[in-house]
Amino acid sequence: MQTLNVVDTGLRYLQLCLEYYTDGCAYFLLYIAALLFVAVAGTKKEKLVFLPSAALLFLSVYNPVFPIILNQIFDVNKEYYRFFWLAPIIIIIPYVCTRLLMLQETKVKKGIVAVVIFAILCLSGNFIYANGYEQAPNVYKVSDELIEIADIIHEDSEVEFPKALMEYYYNMEMRQYDPSILLTINREDYIYAVSNEYTEEMLEDDTNPQYKLLALLVRYQDISAEDFKRALDMTNTEYMVVSSDNAIIPYFKQAGFRMVANTENHTIFHYELTEPVTFELIDYSGLR
Amino acid sequence: MLQIITGFLGICANFIIYIAFGSLITVRKKDEKWSLALTIVIGFFLYYSIFFFFCVPMMLRFQTLTSLAYLWLVVIAIIVVLSGLLNGRRWFAKAREIANKLKATPLFYVGFILLCLVQGFLITNAYNFTLDATYYVGNVATSVLTDTMNIYDPYTGMWQDHFEMRYFFATYSMNDAVMCRLSGLKALIQTKTVMTASIIMIIQCIYYLVVQELFGEDKKAQFIMLFLMTFLNFTFITIYTSHNFLLTRTFEGKAVVANLVLVVIAYLYMLLLKEHNGRRIWWYLFIVCFGSTTISSSANMLVPAALTVFMLPLIFIKKDIKILPKYAACILPGLVMTLIYVAYVKGYFVIHTY
Repeated sequence: MQTLNVVDTGLRYLQLCLEYYTDGCAYFLLYIAALLFVAVAGTKKEKLVFLPSAALLFLSVYNPVFPIILNQIFDVNKEYYRFFWLAPIIIIIPYVCTRLLMLQETKVKKGIVAVVIFAILCLSGNFIYANGYEQAPNVYKVSDELIEIADIIHEDSEVEFPKALMEYYYNMEMRQYDPSILLTINREDYIYAVSNEYTEEMLEDDTNPQYKLLALLVRYQDISAEDFKRALDMTNTEYMVVSSDNAIIPYFKQAGFRMVANTENHTIFHYELTEPVTFELIDYSGLR
Repeated sequence: MLQIITGFLGICANFIIYIAFGSLITVRKKDEKWSLALTIVIGFFLYYSIFFFFCVPMMLRFQTLTSLAYLWLVVIAIIVVLSGLLNGRRWFAKAREIANKLKATPLFYVGFILLCLVQGFLITNAYNFTLDATYYVGNVATSVLTDTMNIYDPYTGMWQDHFEMRYFFATYSMNDAVMCRLSGLKALIQTKTVMTASIIMIIQCIYYLVVQELFGEDKKAQFIMLFLMTFLNFTFITIYTSHNFLLTRTFEGKAVVANLVLVVIAYLYMLLLKEHNGRRIWWYLFIVCFGSTTISSSANMLVPAALTVFMLPLIFIKKDIKILPKYAACILPGLVMTLIYVAYVKGYFVIHTY
């Protein structure tokens, strides 16, 4: 819920938050329907199991005033939706559906109710594989090409921990597979770059040279080759991995970066650092 | 191939360990009935609770991951042997009991096992890109490579001058790193296959307990409900639902809290409705609450909230104020962790890595 803010939306926050959370799914309505079923036709045990907690949830989590009060103590803007996990939807909806099915006396009635329940559940939700099931390409669950790129960088590099600048997806996945490749850009900087332009002031900020790299790589902002190289030097970045169809490739070639290799969809470039700094692990033996 | 075989053995080892840990709590007197599914669930939380007490002091002393791994291996070995000596006969008796149950109602158990296997296969073989994996899996991989714990930035690999307290007490991912060190598995396989498969199976255990509690011996109804629970998990999908976390981010502590911890609390509430003075149930609840804080910092907020939603009404239902201190004890771990984190965010303290 990155875009929702309790202060801005006030009492509407809860409704908006629920809309984002359910995103067209009707399961929350089914939860209320299941509670009503238990309230009207449930046994004493069922009422004790499901209704008291639901009553407290509606007084607190599903009360529009609650997020406003809570936000005074903690910043709940981004994570309020997690309170919706408290509703035992995974128990009560399947339970009530099963009860309804078991209540039917004949097989014909059971069949009809089963079809109706199944149809309601199908129409109420979004199937996880609605757009197809994407099987992992290998046991590591990263692309084969990423593994190939990691191998190419290590073969080419003279250091144990080469540092690289990569496009979004590989930047997020590379260190899960191969942590010996250091990355220039952290996650938050990348997320910022995806949706924000860099201002002149930010680009002149030498304490954050990665802004220049992202401004060119992600935003295609006008960064001179000299400035870009200086940023690579300041961040000790030797390698750049970009998609083969990236419009930045002629720029890299013109800047004199060495093309290390081409994989199926990516091109790896190398920059000769002016003053390379070898990364070493901190020795903690003296502190133990 | 070796990684796949090791991964499969890792899943089996996990369950042996959880049963051994859980049996110390759930199995007591001779001939007393005990539940294997509940033993696995409680064993899982007890395992992570005990791991926490070894991991945190060693992190604070900048010990190597390898040191923790070998120490933890010794602890596991002692507990498994001890539990085996104390409960070995009961395990064999339970195995015979399960075999008899399988013979008595084969359709139910075959269906249930198939349901588990299909979910396990689909989830562990799917490709999912999630931003949070960059941190969680990256942290395991980085810790293994550097032979340290939580010191290097998972995103970039650079040294951090202080511990990030949001993740410091959630030692769940450090256990993954320990297991990688001991088994030689890659972080991606440990997290996205071994732990993913293990978590899915443990969640099926709690589902099994819930349907048993709600439908007694009616196996047909139990199976229909189990099937519908699975169906709901696969269909109530938006980027925010707990079900989406279960299917795409199973290896994250948050997914464990959302899909396991909260259901376990609801189940234990059902048991407390029948026996609210049952000391053992309160102990289970405490272990689950404490264990969950070591799995994800999300538990620090959600577990006290869940306990409030379930246990405050219990006081009125049972008209017994003595429930209050037990409830307070169970929310304490989450509250303490929350206060520590708030103090860190407000700048009252920082733990440097030098």
